[in-house]
Amino acid sequence: MGKYVLKRIGYMLLTLFIIASVTFFLMKLLPGSPFNNEDRLSDTQKEILLDKYGLNEPVPVQYVKYMTALAQGDLGISFQFDGRPVSTLIGERIGASAFLGMQSLILGTVLGLILGTIAAIRHNSWVDYSATVASVLGLSIPSFVFASLLQYYVGVKLQWLPVAFWTTWEHTILPSIALSLVVIATTSRFMRTEILEVLGQDYIITARSKGLSNARVIVTHAIRNAMIPVITILGPLAVNLITGTLVIERIFSVPGLGQQFVSSIATNDYPVIMGTTLFYSTLFIGVILLVDILYGIIDPRIRISGGKE
Amino acid sequence: MKKSKLTFLMALTLIFSLFLAACSGGKDEAKDPKPEGNDGTKTEKPAEPQVLNLTEVAELPSLDVSKAEDAASFQVLNNVMEGLYRLDKTDKPVPGVAESHEVSEDGKVYTFKIRKDAKWSNGDPVTAKDFVYSYHRTLNKDSAGSYQYIMGDIKNVNKIINPEDPMYGKVEELGVVAKDDHTLEITLENAVPYFVGLTSFATFYPQNQKFVESQGDKYALEANTLVYNGPFVLSEWKHEESWKMVKNDQYWDKDSVKLDEINVNVVKDVGTDLNLYNTNQNDLVGLSSEYVDQYKDNADFKTETEATMWYLKMNQKNPVFKNVNVRKAFSQAIDKESMVKVILNNGSVAANYLVPANFTNIDGEDFRAKYKDGFHAFDAAKAKSDWEAGLKELKKDKVEVEFLVGDTESSIKLATYIAAQLEKSLPGLKVTLNPQPFKNRLDLENKGQYDFELAGWGPDYQDSMTFLDMFVTDGGHNRMEYSNKKYDDLIKSAKTDLSDLKKRWENLQEAERILLEEDAAIAPLYQRGRALLVKPYVKDVFKHGFGADYSYKWAYIEGKQ
Amino acid sequence: MSLPKHEISTELFQPAQVRKENKEVIARPSISFWKDAWIRLRKNKAAVTGLIIIVFIALMAFIGPQMSKYGFNDQDLMRVNLPPKVQGLENISFLGLDGVDIRGMDQYKLKQQKDYFWFGTDALGRDQWTRIWEGTQVSLLIAFVAAILDLLIGITYGGISAFYGGKTDNYMQRFIEILIGIPNLVIIILLILILKPGITSIIIAMAISGWTGMARIVRAQILKLKGQEFVLASRTLGAGDKRLVSKHLIPNVLGPIIITTTFTIPTAIFFEAFLSFIGLGLRPPTASLGSLVNEGFRSLQIFPHLMLIPSIIISLLMISFNMLGDGLRDALDPKMRK
Repeated sequence: MGKYVLKRIGYMLLTLFIIASVTFFLMKLLPGSPFNNEDRLSDTQKEILLDKYGLNEPVPVQYVKYMTALAQGDLGISFQFDGRPVSTLIGERIGASAFLGMQSLILGTVLGLILGTIAAIRHNSWVDYSATVASVLGLSIPSFVFASLLQYYVGVKLQWLPVAFWTTWEHTILPSIALSLVVIATTSRFMRTEILEVLGQDYIITARSKGLSNARVIVTHAIRNAMIPVITILGPLAVNLITGTLVIERIFSVPGLGQQFVSSIATNDYPVIMGTTLFYSTLFIGVILLVDILYGIIDPRIRISGGKE
Repeated sequence: MKKSKLTFLMALTLIFSLFLAACSGGKDEAKDPKPEGNDGTKTEKPAEPQVLNLTEVAELPSLDVSKAEDAASFQVLNNVMEGLYRLDKTDKPVPGVAESHEVSEDGKVYTFKIRKDAKWSNGDPVTAKDFVYSYHRTLNKDSAGSYQYIMGDIKNVNKIINPEDPMYGKVEELGVVAKDDHTLEITLENAVPYFVGLTSFATFYPQNQKFVESQGDKYALEANTLVYNGPFVLSEWKHEESWKMVKNDQYWDKDSVKLDEINVNVVKDVGTDLNLYNTNQNDLVGLSSEYVDQYKDNADFKTETEATMWYLKMNQKNPVFKNVNVRKAFSQAIDKESMVKVILNNGSVAANYLVPANFTNIDGEDFRAKYKDGFHAFDAAKAKSDWEAGLKELKKDKVEVEFLVGDTESSIKLATYIAAQLEKSLPGLKVTLNPQPFKNRLDLENKGQYDFELAGWGPDYQDSMTFLDMFVTDGGHNRMEYSNKKYDDLIKSAKTDLSDLKKRWENLQEAERILLEEDAAIAPLYQRGRALLVKPYVKDVFKHGFGADYSYKWAYIEGKQ
Repeated sequence: MSLPKHEISTELFQPAQVRKENKEVIARPSISFWKDAWIRLRKNKAAVTGLIIIVFIALMAFIGPQMSKYGFNDQDLMRVNLPPKVQGLENISFLGLDGVDIRGMDQYKLKQQKDYFWFGTDALGRDQWTRIWEGTQVSLLIAFVAAILDLLIGITYGGISAFYGGKTDNYMQRFIEILIGIPNLVIIILLILILKPGITSIIIAMAISGWTGMARIVRAQILKLKGQEFVLASRTLGAGDKRLVSKHLIPNVLGPIIITTTFTIPTAIFFEAFLSFIGLGLRPPTASLGSLVNEGFRSLQIFPHLMLIPSIIISLLMISFNMLGDGLRDALDPKMRK
């Protein structure tokens, strides 16, 4: 296992290198300059600015310079937020995004597991149908609509919870609920099918005939086996949630990373685009590795490290 | 194997819980009391607290005077800093750090008298040298601030920032000299009439050399790495989240400042902003057009007309738009009155002109006085006959053109209407929309790769020139191959010959007439308005036509309780 | 005592004559897999209801626009933001189809409109009935394309990756990581510059990484199944790779496949709306259900019909897809065959 993980980490560095390179060259193809009030700058002024920031050099030269700095751990300085290092920028914003992501992930997974399991046990009953309808609605209503409704009714009409901002724990409740909707829907739908599938298998029948209670069968055998697709989907979803989701952060005025990433692309803030992409990819690839390892732990029959015999 | 798995799982759990703990730890720190809570306003003492709560759509990109270049930063700088002059309620310059000024006879040399009681928030006096230092720092070739061009009226600025010029980078040649600590002499290239107003703009603010140098790289990055000389100081700046301004005790005119505290939170979504307004956590909110219908009967509803103009740019690279009759037809084909009333619905005014109303005046006479209604008003019949004449000259009976627009919801809605109006008034025309993100649109415009475009322009300084010099032959903002010698000459003379301001005024009016009436080079659409809700207890927040949007120096709260 | 020893030699054995098509011959009366599935699907009421609703909406998407005399871009500022009004139902006020808006004013009377707009009108006075059904056409097409991409690319990719495992799996998975790692938005903005907006560009944008979720799910499931006894059994019986994957592995992964598809569809519908919004999707004035929801959202509190009706259609479609999907899963699942 240790050797396998080491090898995967080696691949991870290679993958990251490719992602960084491709993104770098693609990003340089984006039209326009990284300067904020570009529409007011004269062409000479633009040239001077490009010269000053070394953006007039051939792209391969810029690439080598960036990669050299990156190898030394230097992510560069933002254009949009003049003078602010990219690492500080990410550091300042990741906290809120990560907290929000984690909280909604835990909330969503727990609720989704319960909902999905109940729906599976009460297969084809009204409980099952309403759970299905609820989770499908959760997916077909865009999160911005749900978040706004939540904000309006709970925040403005009932005044139970704060409308927006990110100061106390109460402020985190509404965005977490809004964000967990998609997690609940995903988890519960997969749980339901998988548990249905598992319940029909021989070893469950064996377990039952050994006299295990229904609840025990579900908890010790069924849920564990149903986890494979759930963690496959939840892994990347978790990364998306943790690195910030544009819409929810926007609606609840959460000072997170999601907003930052999109605006860096809209403003051609090259160092921030690169920094955030690398940050995101590292997390993402790390989580995929984790998920692959978890496969083996959840179901010992799965072997990823070996090939086809 | 089994054991190693278990330890691995345990390690995972540990990492996970550490991570959570770290996060929640961070939360506790952020829990420090905030003055405006859900119910904070109710529990305060009846003695009217002078606190203004506002929102802003984005984090402040830069508060460095030499580098600031966006509306949000200008807005803060205008209230925590002060230039030689500052704009009052009617956008008239009133003394700021300068108590008075004298102008030489040829109108080119300004001598400002710096007031003795002007101080930085750290107690240092504000001197003429602070201005010289600041301007040098801005124009220095290493600083690369993108607003350098706005100083272009000062002597030698355009040479100092031009790499081709022998004077490049030699800031000591700048026409700004500190005669002594309290006398600043500024020499201009031409005797422009609007210079005093310009000194209220953020790029013209002073900077404290000693302080700037002591902060090094950190200068202006945090609330405490900046020093202030305006009515307020920035006391707190949580990036991407909020900032707070409090009254500046060192300010020379602190007796006029009534507000104790201004809280600004970053809120990017208009819907959220409105919800905050309705729960009394925000005192002023701008409405996008979708919300106007919902709030236009609200007692707090206001509209204000801004000095920003929107028009259609028709690219003459396309032979269709090379034809003046086609351009005239476009100018007259759109029902602008219905457009501003039903679609925009926010105080915008239908416009047949380029220089906005109530923007500049000479001896009390507005620029628009001569051609009050502008040129080529909506007239479907005339549009049709001009169109047919144009088609005949082009020897075509069908024309397909692409309409370049921004990708915001409101501009797409507007463009959909304009396209339908054009197709309705001009038979045989087919318009396809091409919505693009901002940078893409700019790129297509700069390369001249468009047929016609929905474009807008706001003023940089208080003179009609800021609108009119855009369309000179090969000008940086022309980008539609428009060229007319008469127009070019009029603009050039208005720029260089300022001996007779009345004559210059008339020349500029004539230039606008040529641009719009004779050539129909662009098709004006409307002068932009803004709809907003303001709490009735917010008094004397002054709105400006150019530079920063609002001044809070004179604002106060009355009748909140 | 000892019994005479019989040498067991190879001559005693001879290969059984099993024809390929008889390999898994089933003793009970021959009823094909698909026929059986169809019988079971028909018995499932929820699935049948779902199917009927989908067919109905699809039909309306084509018939609907013909039922109104207004085209999808016929603007008239004299009749903007009218609430829905339907003949016959206008007297039953709680239905909200009487032309009275949320503030209790009869907008048809105020704006002197005699026509009936069944779904109301939008901010430019366009008939929402026509726009919504034309938008449904687009959204159904997008949903269809997204599902096809998922099924073709996603399943094949994930299947191959897991089945062959080892190096193949390693490289194929690293490739997915690269695809997901490169920011989508950068690629999309570049596409906008190169391509003409339209259905083609939407499909290209979706094809880039829309299928990766499906590929990963299929891979995970096949990894799980690959080690199970029935696969080993089948392999012992001489089944080739192709047969193993198509006859044994894929049918057993159907559950997650169907669920993932039902996730892909709404994601694709809103992805299209997002693309339209930044200029890569449909060119306005053409609309889709997703973009209609986006547009109507801002005026939810004052003109709720603009957002509610397209949302209801999306939700109805989604619930129907899911009911049909669940039914299909039950019907196709080899384990549930009786």
